[in-house]
Amino acid sequence: MEDQVARRAQVLRNHLLHLAAPIPPAPTTLSPNHCVGYSPPDLNEPFSFNPTDMRGLLDSHHLADRDWLFGLMTQSRLFNPLQRGAKVFVSPDYNQSMEQQREATMRRIEYLQDKGVYQGWLTGTGPEAELRRFAFYEVIGIYDHSLAVKLGVHFFLWGGAIQFFGTKRHHDKWLTDTENYVIKGCFAMSELGHGSNVRGIETVTTYDSNTGEFVINTPCESAQKYWIGGAAKHATHTIVFSQLNINGKNQGVHAFIAQIRDADGSVCPNIRIADCGHKIGLNGVDNGRIWFDNVRIPRENLLNSVADVSPDGKYLSAIENADQRFAAFLAPLTSGRVNIALAAIYSSKISLAIAIRYSLTRRAFSVTPNGPEVLLLDYPSHQRRLLPLLAKTYAMSFAGNDLKKIYVKRTPEFNKIVHVISSAYKATFTWHNMRTLQECREACGGQGLKTENRVGHMKSEYDVQSTFEGDNNVLMQQVSKALLAEYIAAKTRNKPFKGMGLEHMNNPCPVISSQLTSSTLRCSKFQNDALCLRERDLLNRFAAEISQYQAQGESKEYAFILSYQLAEDLGRAFTERAILQTFIEAEATVPAGSLKDILSLLRSMYALICLEEDAAFLRYGYLSTDHAAAVRKEVTKLCSEVRPHALAVVSSFGIPGAFLSPIAFNWIDANAWSSVLH
Amino acid sequence: MAPLNSTKPEEDQVLVEEKSYAKILTLNRPRQLNALSFQMISQLLELFVAYEEDSNVKLVIVKGKGRAFCAGGDVAAVVRDINEGNWSLGAHFFCKEYILNYIMATYRKTQVSILNGIVMGGGAGASIHGRFRVATENSVFAMPETALGLFPDVGASYFLSRLPGFFGEYAGLTGTRLDGAEMLACGLATHFVPSPRLSLLEEALHKIDSSDPAIISAIIDKYSQKPYLKEQSAYHRLDVIDRCFSRRTVEEILSALEREALNNTKDDWISAAIQSLKQASPMSLKISLRAIRQGRLQGVGQCLVSEYRMVCHVLRGKVSKDFMEGCRALLLDKDKNPKWEPSKLELISDDMVNSYFSMVDDKEWVDLKLPARSKLAIYAIAKL
Repeated sequence: MEDQVARRAQVLRNHLLHLAAPIPPAPTTLSPNHCVGYSPPDLNEPFSFNPTDMRGLLDSHHLADRDWLFGLMTQSRLFNPLQRGAKVFVSPDYNQSMEQQREATMRRIEYLQDKGVYQGWLTGTGPEAELRRFAFYEVIGIYDHSLAVKLGVHFFLWGGAIQFFGTKRHHDKWLTDTENYVIKGCFAMSELGHGSNVRGIETVTTYDSNTGEFVINTPCESAQKYWIGGAAKHATHTIVFSQLNINGKNQGVHAFIAQIRDADGSVCPNIRIADCGHKIGLNGVDNGRIWFDNVRIPRENLLNSVADVSPDGKYLSAIENADQRFAAFLAPLTSGRVNIALAAIYSSKISLAIAIRYSLTRRAFSVTPNGPEVLLLDYPSHQRRLLPLLAKTYAMSFAGNDLKKIYVKRTPEFNKIVHVISSAYKATFTWHNMRTLQECREACGGQGLKTENRVGHMKSEYDVQSTFEGDNNVLMQQVSKALLAEYIAAKTRNKPFKGMGLEHMNNPCPVISSQLTSSTLRCSKFQNDALCLRERDLLNRFAAEISQYQAQGESKEYAFILSYQLAEDLGRAFTERAILQTFIEAEATVPAGSLKDILSLLRSMYALICLEEDAAFLRYGYLSTDHAAAVRKEVTKLCSEVRPHALAVVSSFGIPGAFLSPIAFNWIDANAWSSVLH
Repeated sequence: MAPLNSTKPEEDQVLVEEKSYAKILTLNRPRQLNALSFQMISQLLELFVAYEEDSNVKLVIVKGKGRAFCAGGDVAAVVRDINEGNWSLGAHFFCKEYILNYIMATYRKTQVSILNGIVMGGGAGASIHGRFRVATENSVFAMPETALGLFPDVGASYFLSRLPGFFGEYAGLTGTRLDGAEMLACGLATHFVPSPRLSLLEEALHKIDSSDPAIISAIIDKYSQKPYLKEQSAYHRLDVIDRCFSRRTVEEILSALEREALNNTKDDWISAAIQSLKQASPMSLKISLRAIRQGRLQGVGQCLVSEYRMVCHVLRGKVSKDFMEGCRALLLDKDKNPKWEPSKLELISDDMVNSYFSMVDDKEWVDLKLPARSKLAIYAIAKL
């Protein structure tokens, strides 16, 4: 025992003093001078490129505005600055009760309102205003997911519904007041019995032509509105989704505006509200349940961009088909999915920046008996755990930027593309985020379990992302369905593929050479070919399987349900290929130099990880087993090549230190006895 | 090179004294208010680097001869270079100065700066990054660069941005003067010692045989005093400063100040601030605000790298030649009537501002390369 302690002390001592042989006699007891030290990685890991330039590429727009907003948060007590060692971190106090967290979130919203952060979020128009709003929303999410979600409900769901489903009379009446938080909006779509299947909701609205009012009713318990963010405490108004029943005929789902609280915060007559209670995360958001007991609202409160009811009670719509009416209705609501996809990227960035910074300062085990302990990130296994996730996060950043660009320039013809890409990215990025958070949590060991270190806690904060604004699995099925529709349209009309990046289907099928050298594997042409090959084949297979089921007499809908495996594979193939292409495009904008070099390493890492992780490549023979072995070997090599740049690569995320956590910096200092409140 | 010609080389511009474990460096150009020449910067850098490795040095004291600690960098010399068509020579001056700032900011030993007089611009850079800054009743601090067509550099984007609330934006944009009490209140100074006690303090420091900041701080504490923060100090009105200087843009800051001025006629500092902002170079204001906001979120090294990019763009004068114009109007012709170009805040686009933060498009140019630092003490980096 004594011996072991002495040896251990010697190891630590050697590591600290970086002693070469000869080794002095081992001390017999541990003395405080010989303990593990913290060495700031920033001083030992030279940057081969300027992280500010890389940040410009990743954040892509409104950098100065982002910095302003970061500064607004670090400079205010409301954002709960916490001294840990020599550094100050800002993060909500998640040890507060649910009620306190909700109030704190509301105070932060008001502070940012007062500083003019939301100016133009609803009243501004054009790509510039929308991009700035995206930038601010991303920054807010970096601080706290609850803050972002509570704001998102008010601006993008309530405000967005008025913008997109409403007409001038609604815009004039509500948008400015919403932007200034004179009223607080929420969005009652989901019900206890219906979530993703919005068309099945059970709330019913009828029209009373005698008074010129709509009457909204919750006919049964499963029709209670559920998970309505803002409803439990603060919201004064809500969008209500409901079946519209005119003269006994159901016209399908429509959206109405109803007031649920008065200016004093008391619940309005004929409205019942209950709390959804404590949740695994997002406790700063007051999710509630709402029942409507024949609530009467003026006729003008129907959001009538798609359909209207005349004063005498006639249903009027330019779109005859109820299916199409419903689609037109929901199409503009993609902004929520875009925001979620982007938030997922930033969450991954936070956790990777923390885990990688920690892995550059934390050591464990020696390779030789008395040698220094090894930095976590110098273990190839640790590199393999974190660096591919880092490459994916880079890839998704570029894809996210591309999505924003498409979104802000959208036209009605683009709606379908925006819908498909935003669905694919929302699901893929949020799944990636959950996986990244778990890996980073484990990579930080026990420290990852502390709430103040963020990564572990963020798992429960971000879990909801795979469910809200469209269940990930449902969204990915929609992607595959949309691809199949494109396929059928192209084949039946005998026209080339156009849009959604499917143009590659018009070219001859790419061929993968039998010998994959390192330089081939790192060539973007090869990488793109491999991902296109998979997408093309899976789309053909999917179409064939569906038509086979249909030939056997199954309905189209049931055929989709049966073909779920190919649908999933295809959705993934489409998404990964689309992401890779945005990476290649981003890389092309950078002049030759160290920045481009590191981008090309990360791009190769991304592409090869896609090849390695998806069994479809071997299952359907796009790659041979030799190919797969070569890919695996190359990934290991890439890991060791990215390793020296790891700190620079995470520093380029542009997330200020105050928004990371103590283990990302001097964790010894942060945990010192002197920092304990005695 | 011009900065060298600007003073008589035979004169020692930095006096060095040795007292057991302490080194005393005295900036010695009293007639120029100890403005930092290229030679002084080089000498200071050499000395600091050497002392770090010298186990006989535990403490470095920096002070100024005469009534100034240091009034700034010797920019007049730099402007001469530029006017002779050699902006990269000027860049070399700043490169060296910023490296000195970086070494001070990450210094393994304790630096005590005695700020008994004017501390401006480059003088702030040569002191604020150090461990202890001793202010006196004679201290006058300012970062007046925006009036000169420059921006608060020498790591000011790091240290100004770390002042309470948005006080750094206020000090950096308006170039307002702070006295010793205000310096202590906002954290620019760590101690306030009345000047009659300085010689006793120095004597005590000369006897020190430790580099331990806690021990040194305790000694300075013995001579320190709690100064009186004057009634009309803007520091009493941090709430107003935060309200105005937290606005997103310079234009919004200005209009917020103007709104405050309407409701509040007894606070002179508000109208003075408005005055300063209106006289300053619009381009300087824009890039300074951006630098402080960006710097708030970065380490001192990154701040200096960014500032070096900015200063090279300023010297090169592709977007604006305000620095040359400011030096002409305030230092050379002294007509105090600079003609800024662009002349108004509204004429400056985001792209113009962004360009100051990008790489300089010149084959010869490289980013500021900071020396590798190692074996740093725990608090070596974060002092503010």
